[in-house]
Amino acid sequence: MTSNQLENFRIPIGPQHPALKEPGHFEFAVDGETVTDASVRLGYVHRGIEKGTEGRNYVQSMYLLERVCGICSHVHATAFALGVERLAKVEAPPRAQAIRVLVGELERIHSHMLWLGVAAHEAGFDLLFMYSWRDRETVMNLLENITGNRVNYSANLLGGVKCDITDQHEQEIRTGIDFLEERTAYYLDVVSNDAMFLRRTRGIGVMSPEAAEQLGVVGPTARASGVARDVRVDAPYAAYVDHPVNIVTETAGDLEARFKVRIKELFESYRLIRAILDNMPEGDLTTRMPRRVKPGETISRVEAPRGELFYYIKSNGTDTADRVKVRTPTLPNMGSVLALAVGHQFADMPMLLAGIDPCFSCNDRMVSINAPGGDTQQWTWEQLRQYGIEYYR
Amino acid sequence: MSTSTPEQVTTPTSELNPNLQTAADLVTNHAAETTTPEPNRLDAVIDAAALVDVVQALVDARWGYLSTITGVDLGVEADQLEMLYHFCEGADILTLRVRVPRCGGVVPSVCGAIPSASMYERELIEMFGITVTDTPNAERLFLPEDWPDGVYPLLKDFSMDQLS
Repeated sequence: MTSNQLENFRIPIGPQHPALKEPGHFEFAVDGETVTDASVRLGYVHRGIEKGTEGRNYVQSMYLLERVCGICSHVHATAFALGVERLAKVEAPPRAQAIRVLVGELERIHSHMLWLGVAAHEAGFDLLFMYSWRDRETVMNLLENITGNRVNYSANLLGGVKCDITDQHEQEIRTGIDFLEERTAYYLDVVSNDAMFLRRTRGIGVMSPEAAEQLGVVGPTARASGVARDVRVDAPYAAYVDHPVNIVTETAGDLEARFKVRIKELFESYRLIRAILDNMPEGDLTTRMPRRVKPGETISRVEAPRGELFYYIKSNGTDTADRVKVRTPTLPNMGSVLALAVGHQFADMPMLLAGIDPCFSCNDRMVSINAPGGDTQQWTWEQLRQYGIEYYR
Repeated sequence: MSTSTPEQVTTPTSELNPNLQTAADLVTNHAAETTTPEPNRLDAVIDAAALVDVVQALVDARWGYLSTITGVDLGVEADQLEMLYHFCEGADILTLRVRVPRCGGVVPSVCGAIPSASMYERELIEMFGITVTDTPNAERLFLPEDWPDGVYPLLKDFSMDQLS
């Protein structure tokens, strides 16, 4: 076979594949073991959520948008609530802003620990996967105690939050954080010093600061390449104004750096949570919010665990948004995987992909139900709602 | 569906912060109009023909990064789509607003200056039915393979009947 023919050998990965935790379709062109080209096709979990907001009022839309992602649901509701509040010229009370950030940081801990497990699994280090997921239960329990839910916490309301932090919560959070801090020190030691693990991460998928800038990557992926980009620092929102974040960066730009940035960010989250608990403002949890929002448009950016989450919201004077645009952090980061893949060994692809902490359901935003017998049915919102009511009756 | 234009406040250029002032200087030659809807934002209305030059100027000056491209349907009556190119630098956001007709709208690709814009352009093409000239990949990104041609879900007059 000539090298030209070899170059045209294309290996599809996905949409269903053991190395992918969520559906996405990648196509890699390979020359022997070396990747020469890569492309992606998303949308396997596209639900038309942006369109969905056009037919729902602001309150309903917030519940829908919170379901863009099952891991970082709280940041979506926070970005939307902050944006709509700005359009309505309403400001949530300080206690609500502090609780938003507190839940947001607990969510970041949960997300980073989940990622650590997945990435360790991709590297073939299943013990680390089991350790990190076992320890992650600590923060899941805390979130459940505060909000009543393990995922889709629904802590936000337009104009505030719906859950308070009691003295008992505070004690539980402090105990949980102390335990996790100890465990995190162990993780940092493992990813920095374990010789076998380093062979999968050190010098793999190197992205220079220039490349990171050019590819427009965000979040820990950018910070691991020395690009100090963090919305919590660049444009502080909610209680981050009173509790400045120390940005964590690494310079190596490889997979090892991406591990270190995320794990070091956990320590920063623990510090922030303690600072917020030490200085929790007194007062109301909510403020009055008008149902109709005057015409206007705003951009709301928050730092999700995976990077900058961007919301564009346009109101038209009614109780329904004219347009809600969501750009999740995985989309720009996904482009970096395609660019970085070229020149790497094919066997590094799952790790390279895991390195950006991809979230496909965030990316893909029709309700299609495959009924037994193979008929695809389309349900209206009303039918689905009725089904939900009857299911729980 | 309402097509009202958002409330906009024009701030004198002397009140812009230094960061946004730099952005304003970069786009001023091509912008038909600039407004400051919020203190950290600058909006510039740009003609589609000038888009590539403006984007190249921002990239050359290393002003911010392209955060995303938002498509907005201004409604059947207005018969226009608006493409918003959001550039972020710290807390500041520069938005280039490009208006095109609702049917047969054409914008040039900015991938020459910003290769990572490809994903955003693919999304615009499949959701709004515009043509992006010279974009490296015009294939579908999110919509299913069996989605009918010529049906664009983020247009205001989209209805589920178009799918059957």
